[in-house]
Amino acid sequence: MKQSGTSALLQDAVLDMASSVASALRGGGHAPDDITTGGGPSGDLELAAARVLGADLVLPTVLCGIPPTADRLDLIRRTLEAFPPRPEAPPTVRWSHWALRRALRQADPSGSGSDERRPPEPDAAWLDGVPWPFLTHQLAVLASLALPGQDCAPARAARARTLDVARGFVRAVRRRDWLQAAGAGRWLTLLPDVPETLGLAAGLDFVELMGGDDPRVLLQVRAARLTGAGALV
Amino acid sequence: MTDTRLLHTVGVRAIEWLWAHRDGFRLEPDVDPEIGFLDRFKPVGELALVCKVLFREGVAGSRQAELARRLLDHVWRETLGGGSMLVRGQRTEPISPIPFETYLPFKELGYHQPEIERAAVLDHRLDSWCAFEVTPTRRLGLSAFQRRFGLRPRPPEHEALKATWLARTPEPWTVEGHIAYDVTHAVFHLTDWGENPGGLPPRLADYLAVWLPVWIDDWLDLRRWDLLGELLVVDACLPRPTLDERAWAGFAEAQRADGAMPAVREMPDIADPDELFDAVYHPTLVAAFASTLATSRALAGLTQAAS
Repeated sequence: MKQSGTSALLQDAVLDMASSVASALRGGGHAPDDITTGGGPSGDLELAAARVLGADLVLPTVLCGIPPTADRLDLIRRTLEAFPPRPEAPPTVRWSHWALRRALRQADPSGSGSDERRPPEPDAAWLDGVPWPFLTHQLAVLASLALPGQDCAPARAARARTLDVARGFVRAVRRRDWLQAAGAGRWLTLLPDVPETLGLAAGLDFVELMGGDDPRVLLQVRAARLTGAGALV
Repeated sequence: MTDTRLLHTVGVRAIEWLWAHRDGFRLEPDVDPEIGFLDRFKPVGELALVCKVLFREGVAGSRQAELARRLLDHVWRETLGGGSMLVRGQRTEPISPIPFETYLPFKELGYHQPEIERAAVLDHRLDSWCAFEVTPTRRLGLSAFQRRFGLRPRPPEHEALKATWLARTPEPWTVEGHIAYDVTHAVFHLTDWGENPGGLPPRLADYLAVWLPVWIDDWLDLRRWDLLGELLVVDACLPRPTLDERAWAGFAEAQRADGAMPAVREMPDIADPDELFDAVYHPTLVAAFASTLATSRALAGLTQAAS
């Protein structure tokens, strides 16, 4: 019971954080992003929620140019310290951590404790030749890496397999997996040669209509629209 | 690429089941005409279409071909009364296309009923035939059947095609069961049930090559065997069929040892033989259809590779 209670609290904390970021992205980032300005989770719960959201914590900075708050940067630093990936961690965990390090470095290039160098990339061989449903699933989990002009091995893997990611988007929508669909859709806004018949723009609207009650979905859809519209990075 | 033996075996078993359950192809002559005497012609017409594919592709073994021929003779003689029941159906509902649709594949296979042919020619002249309200996909099929009969299609097939879902190549994520059946039947009509893959316009073939794998993956996981079978037919109609190994393995596994293919998930628990026939004859026919076309394409691929 205790565990399920904790996990429900974590889920709520993640949704609150996602909701705050999604609000900041609305209309190009003119709304305040107030995750850490009172009312949010604190302590371990806050760190755990920040770990789940990962690099998307600084999306308003990356996509809309909104300067990050000191609290936000501090939260990211503490999250990175609290959850170093274990050697046996799955690739998505290692890449999420890498993405968060990169995000901190970009959001606060002169900040104390942030690496000056681009962090070394984890291994990306796990995506080589995988079937398109698995590829799309993994990319959707790593949707925080889908940023215009920011290269990394998963982004290169995605660029080489546009058709497969598009198929994965259709599959996710058909299966009502809105979070995966939104993540795949966000990647597709960056990929070359997306089939016109996919109807991506309407597809993202459909995902928002059907699954936008979940702030994590809303965040990805809004990020996709901004990247698709050529948001700054 | 799926093992050709697996592709072939699905069809062999399906024909065995259809032969063993041939009495299920039955009409209900005493039914109230207002309820629909013509409703039960559909399985008979579909059987003839699939058997025609089987003869045409030339990949059936001798027993499978023999059973198919005997099945056709059986339903023509016993179910259709040598064609007299088609005439009765036509006289019951003179403007209904059903007797004509049922008759056409039999005519192509050498069976003959002059009165139905006269009715088809007369109907072709009627504005009411063109105005008869059917779905766009069925309208495309009626035009294709008129052409196959030797008449000038009304409307022309390229006109009829325009109104179908497939012709507009819409957003693939909106497809659900009914739309998927419209897609499969549009392909059947455009290719003359797989005989002429070139009848599928390149634009539509490209669209299907891109999105069909998603739909096959989806309906395989949903275990909707009837629709999956039709999608596997569509795959076999494409310029470069995938003959998807996972889908075919799942499809073959779903088939019962006696050859029956459940429509959805498992075989239904139905004791009445007629009701059971009605529940599974269609997916079983589709299994024979998909198997025949896929086997033919697989063998053609081997021939090309060897030359």
